Amino acid sequence: MNKQEFLSQLEGRLSGLPKEDISERLLFYSEMIDDRIEEGLSEEEAISEVGSIDEIVSETVSNTPLSKIVKENVKPKRALRGWEIALIIAGSPIWGSLLIAFSAVILALYITLWALIVALWAVEISFIASALACAAIGTVFIIRGEPITGALAVGSGLVMAGLSIFLFFGCIAASKGVVKLTKKIALGIKSIFVGKEKQNG
Amino acid sequence: MDIQLKRGLLDVCVLASIKDEESYGYKIIKDIKPYMEMSESTLYTILKRLEGAKMLTVRTAEHNGRLRKYYRITDTGLKRIEDFKDEWKEIISIYRFVTKEDQHE
Repeated sequence: MNKQEFLSQLEGRLSGLPKEDISERLLFYSEMIDDRIEEGLSEEEAISEVGSIDEIVSETVSNTPLSKIVKENVKPKRALRGWEIALIIAGSPIWGSLLIAFSAVILALYITLWALIVALWAVEISFIASALACAAIGTVFIIRGEPITGALAVGSGLVMAGLSIFLFFGCIAASKGVVKLTKKIALGIKSIFVGKEKQNG
Repeated sequence: MDIQLKRGLLDVCVLASIKDEESYGYKIIKDIKPYMEMSESTLYTILKRLEGAKMLTVRTAEHNGRLRKYYRITDTGLKRIEDFKDEWKEIISIYRFVTKEDQHE
């Protein structure tokens, strides 16, 4: 692959991003390749050092805000005709409500996910609270001269404490998982828009 | 290394590489390479971010019959480096405290 092929392939894969962003990036990579060639590398070597196209595309997409990508893709390629505008306005009760419903579903799923995390942490906190309560009650029983009941309460407290430690790591893992998932979903949504022209062609 | 930490360090490394004189993309990568590995796309993102934060300025100049972008640090960028030094003084003292605890065990 020579430099021209590399750049035009990259351009195709980045289609869907704002035009200025694409041309600025292409200039940047072109300069990087030229500088390496100037230092004595062959064109091929220079291109392979600059990185794979997949890598560049995924880095670019994850660093471009979703709003920017959507705006670029929603923008019509040519001026709309009068009847098209009329049709869009007339149809708005249908596509408008569908759009709202779709966004609401996505939002609801997201909230549900976080609600689960909140619930998990609530369970964790109640475990800790019951562990403390059991220990306190057990101590009171022991002081009042009922060692068996006291030991039972302290024992349950220890079990609660054990469970809370166990669940604590689960809670952290689940929270991290959701954050990671959120990033992946965002990347997925962005990828729907970016680079599709090339794939179709 | 933690991603968040690495990102912060790379920002300062890029600023440090243009601290004394203006530099260009490939040279920045080469200067940082002995200390941290950085891909071109990462550098691009960092340069954009630093430019947005007014920590550096960009100018395009001719070089061997083609165009090349040169990056120059601003006062805000220099201040970022100074802040970084102060932050790390604290971190180093925390590090000493943490490793001291290790020796007791």
